[in-house]
Formats: sequence, structure tokens, C-alpha cells
Amino acid sequence: MKYAFYPGCVSRGGCPELYPSAVKVSAKLGIELEEMKDVACTGAGVLPQYISDPINARTLAKAEQMSLPIMTICSTCQGVMAQANYRLRNDPDYRERINKEYLAEEGLTYKGTTEVKHLLWVLFEDYGIERLKSLVQKPLKGLRVSPFYGCFIRRPPEAITPTKELSRRKNYLDELIGILGAECVDFSGKGKCCGFPILTANEENSLAMAGKHTGEAKEKGADCMVTPCPLCHLSLDGNQPKAEALKGQKIDLPILHLPQFVGLALGFDPDEMKLSRHIVSTKTVETKVEMLA
Amino acid sequence: MEITFKVYRKDPEKDGKPDRSTYTVDLPGDATVLEGLLKIRDEVDSTLAFRASCGRGYCGECMMRVNYSARFACIAKVSAFTQKGPEILLDPLRNVPVIKDLVFDWDAFMWNKIKTIKPWLESTDEASEGENLIPDAVAKDLRKVMSCFYCGMCDEGCTVLPVDFNFLGPAALTKAYRFVFDPRNKDTRERLKIVEEPKGIWDCVHCFEADEHCPRGIEPTKRILAIRDLAFKVGITNEKVARHHLSFANSVKESGWLDEGRLAVETEGLSNIKGLMKLMPTAAKAIVRGKAPIPYLHSKRPGAEQIRRIFEKGEEEKK
Repeated sequence: MKYAFYPGCVSRGGCPELYPSAVKVSAKLGIELEEMKDVACTGAGVLPQYISDPINARTLAKAEQMSLPIMTICSTCQGVMAQANYRLRNDPDYRERINKEYLAEEGLTYKGTTEVKHLLWVLFEDYGIERLKSLVQKPLKGLRVSPFYGCFIRRPPEAITPTKELSRRKNYLDELIGILGAECVDFSGKGKCCGFPILTANEENSLAMAGKHTGEAKEKGADCMVTPCPLCHLSLDGNQPKAEALKGQKIDLPILHLPQFVGLALGFDPDEMKLSRHIVSTKTVETKVEMLA
Repeated sequence: MEITFKVYRKDPEKDGKPDRSTYTVDLPGDATVLEGLLKIRDEVDSTLAFRASCGRGYCGECMMRVNYSARFACIAKVSAFTQKGPEILLDPLRNVPVIKDLVFDWDAFMWNKIKTIKPWLESTDEASEGENLIPDAVAKDLRKVMSCFYCGMCDEGCTVLPVDFNFLGPAALTKAYRFVFDPRNKDTRERLKIVEEPKGIWDCVHCFEADEHCPRGIEPTKRILAIRDLAFKVGITNEKVARHHLSFANSVKESGWLDEGRLAVETEGLSNIKGLMKLMPTAAKAIVRGKAPIPYLHSKRPGAEQIRRIFEKGEEEKK
């Protein structure tokens, strides 16, 4: 099982704990990753489509050249690239124009033969949940975990398909929490926006959203939250102190990246998963996990 | 079959405090929620207030929350909501000023916001003698947007409105699209300026909830993103957003990927001492945790030159 690995900018920038934990967990599971090193940022929904589509066409064409599907560890990279893939694949004229005007000079052609898959989907659809279960060394019994999907791993639908399991994809995190032995603490904000995209335009609203979701999960009794998106992590973890200040209320909810959460169940210790790099202390999670040992 | 409705109540002429009334009525198996409400009002409680008009899922008047999710009561079958339990909860929309019971303030919810974006065409030309034609493809695109029947479902799904009711919201911003992209419109920049004001397009988190909610497939989120792309092309007028987007673009153009440290300081503005000071507490925490990206110490990606070429070609072609 091999993927063209697209780690994205944030997994080595604002969330440098994500990249090494994803690499370690993949290696332990036997998921082979060939990192795409000479490709661009997806544009993250900030760059306009007329620039990001050709740039992403190049990335997709490179993966096609490797004859591999792409694996992402960031919902935003996932969403933006998959949307570009959808547009290019379904519009032959557009595809031809992008190929001719942008990619030909480098000898690349986008054909529409590769898929963009988030690690979360890889675990369920390619790797197999039974296989993952058999490798769990430390079932996270007693750990109460809220799932936080954010937007791009659930919407828009055309970027989530093609899959016959569209509706199931919307619940993978809930399922995974149970599979790793933890208790899923459901809450209404799990599929909403974390607030990150409007940090520049309206910081107050951005923080209010982060505070709303973390606060709700905490009230429902979660020990921590797990997210497949590092931008959600920046908002929910990095900005949690500011969100607390705005709310006038302590929240103190640790936020785990998806690979960190899987890693803990696979027997990695918190140091290996770089939990010390989080802004909100993960002590409560670590204590609970240590007690399981 | 017997169906029990638990309905949100609020009477401004009494104490105005929210309450809930419980009604049990006998309904045919294929009844809709609206039929249930009509029966309650006709036979049980004439004081119950709700709105409804077309009765066929077209006008949006009867939108309400049925077991916590927004539905048109006239096409929502009761049988779809009684599988998990015998009771159906009916509430007005979230975060909307309620006038009475299930009747909420449409002006505050949507009409005032639509007025803000000047929902009329200001034509480029004096009245022409013949028809003022626009290309088919454009007309087709605009017609799709014009098929909106203002049900408000997109605003109900919006993830920003629950934290900020003054956000213009997807319905009004989609209406703006209809004029921004109409070639007959006189001053596109002027229109862009209106929607670039605080609470406009840059306050949208592009979560795609609106697209998922729209019963017409108008895709309001994609319309808002298209307006943003146009603003990027002709020059963003919201200063902070402009700095942010320019820094993001330059970073990708120059190195192939994002320099997050640079983005943070350039978004505030290099000469904006107050703004930069505001970054300090977050930066200090990140430094302690070993996760602060240092601005400008950012290596180029292999392939950066090719990425730059594509980037600049994209910019060039759209001029």
C-alpha cells in the first residue's frame, strides 16, 4: 500500500507536530509514503481558483506520473485539491486548456486518473479497520473524545465523492474513536467551521466559533478532541487561550491531530507524538493514557 | 395515527418568555408537519402562530426546525420524524428574532440584508432601442442564481450567523453575485466595495453548508467564492484582507509554499507596530512549545520555478 504523500504547509509550519506523527504512524501501519517534494501549496481556499486550479493540476499530474493516489493529512489540502480534481476531470475543455497552457511546458499532462485521499479515508477504505484494530496495543479505554471534522472533509459533496460510502465518510471519526477503544462524546458543532478561515477578516467571530465548539465538547464531558485538519487545530488549540479570554471562561480542552490519536492507541508515547508542542496542555490525556499502561 | 407535537411558544403580548405547548392530534399516515399544525390551529388551539403559503415546498414561508433541523413544514412528512421517538419538536429558526411562536422576523433574518447589497441593476447604458442582450452562457448562469426563491435555507445552515447575526449571509451575498456578474451592471467595483465591507464576503468561512442546504442547487458558497476571486483579480479593498492575500500569494509565488510566519506579520502590516505587538502573546506561547514558524527563514520548494511560472501565467491570463 503506497501513496504519493502530500503533507501540506501547516504540518511542518504552524503545526510541526503533525508531520512527524503522521510519518511514524504510517510507518508502523506499513503504509508506504513517497513524499511529493516539488509541488506547491494548494492555495488553501485563499488563492483564487484561476491560480490554484492550474497549480493543483500540476500536483495531480505529478501523482499520476508516480501512478499513485495522493494521501493528505490536512482536510483543507484535501478539499481544495479534490475540488480541483473534480472540475478538471469533469470538464474536458477546461482540462485541455490547463494541460496545453500550463502543464505542457514542463512535459506534464493531467489525465484525471488519480484520487486524493485523506489519511482518515485511507484507514477505513484502503487499510481496513479490522487490520487497524489488530494493531492496537493500547485501547484508549476511558478516554472521552469528541470528534471534530470541520468542513472540507465533509463538504462539498462532489469533492467527497466518488465513493459509495459518502454518508459513512461523514462518520469515520466517530467510528474510529470507538474502534481505538475510546468513548465518543458527540456534540452539535462537530461538522461546523472551526473559525480559522476568518481569523484575518473577523477575529472576534473566528474566536467565538473556536470557543463555541471547544466549550460545547468540554461541557459534554470530553477529555479531548480529535481533528483531521491542522487548520482546525490552529484555531481550536492555538487560539483557545484567546477564545477563552473572549468567552470569559476557561475551556482547557486538549486537541489531538488524527495521527497523534491513532499513534497513542498503537503504543507510541506522547513524546513521540509531539504532544508537548500543543498550546493547550495535553496532560489530562497523557495521564489517562499512562494509567492504561 | 396519533402524533404529539411539542411546539415552541412565545407570546409578545404576555410575558414574552419562551415556552413549549404539547398537542396530540390524529393524522393520516402520509400527513405533513404543516397538516398537523393546521389541524392543531383549527381544532385545538387557535392562538398558535405559524406561517405557510404555497403548501408545496416552493415559497419557503413555512420554514421551521423540525426535530432541530430546518425543514419546509409543508413537505416534511411526519412519518420521517417519528421513527426515533413518538414526539416531534417544532421550533423557529436558530438565532432569529421570534415575533410569535413559529413566526420569526423575516426583515431581520434576510430582507434588510438583501437591501444592503442594492438588489437592483444600475445599467451601463442609456435605455437602448432594442434589447440589451447578454451572452447565453452568462444569462444561463445568472438565471440559476435568479431561481432563488428566498426560502432562507442557506442562511439557516450558515455557520457564521450563529456567532454573528449581522453577517450578511449567503442569501444576500448570492443576490450580490447576480449583479456583480451581470455585464450590464454599471460599476462592478462599486458593488464589490459594498460586499467587501465588514460582515460581507470576507466574513464567510466557505464551509459549504449553504450549498448543502440550498434546495435549488444554487451553490451560494461557490457564488461567494467567485465574488472573492473577482475581488482578488481587480484589487481587494478590505485593507487587512488585501495584505493577507497578497502575502499568501507572494509566498507561494516565490517559494512554492506558504511561509506562515511571514503571513502573520505581513497580514498585520510591517509598519503596524500595534498590530505586530498583538501577535506577541500567541507567538511567545508558540516559541515556548517549539512551534513558531520563523518569518522569512523559509526554503524554496524544489520545483519553485515551475510553480512561479504557472502562478504568473494564471495572473496574466485573468487580466
